[in-house]
Amino acid sequence: MSKRSPLRRVIIYGGALLLAFFWFAPFVLVFIGSVLPEVNLLSFPPTWFADPPNLQTYEYIFTGKVPESYEQRGALRSMISNEVRDVPRAVLNSIVVATAVMVINVIFGSLAAYAYARIRFPGRTAAFNFVLMSRLIPSVAIAVPYYLIVQAFGLINTYWALIAIYSVLTLPFTTLVLTLYFRGLPEEIDEAARVEGASPWRILRDITIPLALPSIIGAGLFSFMLAYSEFLFALFITTTSDRRTLPVILGALSANTDVTWNMLMASIAVGTIPTLLLAIPVWRFMVRGLTSGAVRG
Amino acid sequence: MAAPALLLVALFTLYPVGRALYQSTRIESPIFPSRFVGLQNYRDVLGGIYFQGAAGTTLWFAAVTVPLLVILGVLVALLLNESFVGNAILRVGMLLPWALPATVAGLVWKWIFLDSWGALNAGLYTAGLIDNYIAWLTTPDLARTAVIVVFIWTQLPLTAIFLLAALQAIPGELYDAAAVDGAGVFRRFWNITLPGIRPMLVIVTLYAVLMAFTNFDIVYSLTQGGPGTATTMLTYFTWVESFKKLDFGAGSALAVVIALASLAVILVLVRVIPKGALVEERA
Repeated sequence: MSKRSPLRRVIIYGGALLLAFFWFAPFVLVFIGSVLPEVNLLSFPPTWFADPPNLQTYEYIFTGKVPESYEQRGALRSMISNEVRDVPRAVLNSIVVATAVMVINVIFGSLAAYAYARIRFPGRTAAFNFVLMSRLIPSVAIAVPYYLIVQAFGLINTYWALIAIYSVLTLPFTTLVLTLYFRGLPEEIDEAARVEGASPWRILRDITIPLALPSIIGAGLFSFMLAYSEFLFALFITTTSDRRTLPVILGALSANTDVTWNMLMASIAVGTIPTLLLAIPVWRFMVRGLTSGAVRG
Repeated sequence: MAAPALLLVALFTLYPVGRALYQSTRIESPIFPSRFVGLQNYRDVLGGIYFQGAAGTTLWFAAVTVPLLVILGVLVALLLNESFVGNAILRVGMLLPWALPATVAGLVWKWIFLDSWGALNAGLYTAGLIDNYIAWLTTPDLARTAVIVVFIWTQLPLTAIFLLAALQAIPGELYDAAAVDGAGVFRRFWNITLPGIRPMLVIVTLYAVLMAFTNFDIVYSLTQGGPGTATTMLTYFTWVESFKKLDFGAGSALAVVIALASLAVILVLVRVIPKGALVEERA
């Protein structure tokens, strides 16, 4: 890199700071909100830090030990909802469902993408476009029909229903990305293998998949993230708290007037931890794997 | 090999779409007997002032957020393409807002924007910038702005990352050659950067349009379409018709209208885009 003018450095660092503030400040505020007593949060004029912060909200979520401030009856609040104790279970539900969706995407997405990229068959373009266009339909539009399908199969309130729906929602994108990537792989290698007598399966297993692995992992993680986040379908497919996913539980908590703001913030923080843990692998695989195919065209 | 994926998608696409079309021509609700009413639902829905309001808000929202997302996306990508201390933290960390479930993002920002004890009001008041709390979420224009801010917060990371990948694929020699020829920053951007990222710009724009038209979770958790109907967009309106009023016929008619509208927008965009910008068909 050549020497930069001071003005350019100011712009770069200024922009970076601004961006960091915009992206991270909300997370910091959630954490602050989760460790302060609610009396302080609701005070006007605001005296957030009048009392020392504590981790009692987290303690309650994981162990059920009621925070001290709730013991003082007749104070601002003495209500507490044990609904927040469903949060760890909800995180687990979301992870189970999202992992299954990821596995399905990796397997069926690679197969479909390989077919689109390498094998000629009648109606290929039409089928490809159909898969892509199917994502144009807003979820709200198909919510009722989906509910009826799930009901017909007797799968209301099961992981299976969520896994099936999310797989359908994510497969088009996975297929698109992997198709673009597979097309970018040199076809000569395939040719050579075919001359040697390798079957399409063999070529896929021993050549294409190893070459495209970062991209496949990336697309898989992407589908994991989407499944982990989905709200609308999970809202009416799940009916009991032992099957509800994180977005549904948090949505319910925010509408529950017995849940204090610091409890809600602590719940959000707990629900964000898996996301935090995944950020680095997602960056490594997804960003490189997903984008390289599209960039090269 | 494509068959399993295709079958799965077909079962969950053709049937629901068919079902939605069927329902849209009938009175469908848990209370009344189902019966065929032709295009009555479409007439009722399209003629109603609430639909027109929601459609207007949706178009306005897309018209504001799509250009904003693409322009900010390019700026952020250009910034992240520079080397500076903390670049890696910013790149990885910015995945967080995107990876957060949109409903949760709405809740996080609700805590910031809340009228009576939100963090933004508390901060501005403590800093002495305001004397009274501002009703961010109950003033129509401010509430709309709040929805836009949260939408940008959740969608900008992915937009910027994809554009960054495109930037990094541009050969550095091009810039060196241009610098030798004495081309300035803007000339270089216009003649090298922009053509280089054009295919990705198209993808990112299409994605932004799609997200702007189908976004629902943020409105649901941040404003519930309010105050009044200020932030009620078509998806939220559909939700109200279907699941609050339990009028599945009207809800389905609306859904069909939204799907056709986003299809029309995408088709127009695909036409407008210069040929060869999307390198897709090679076979």
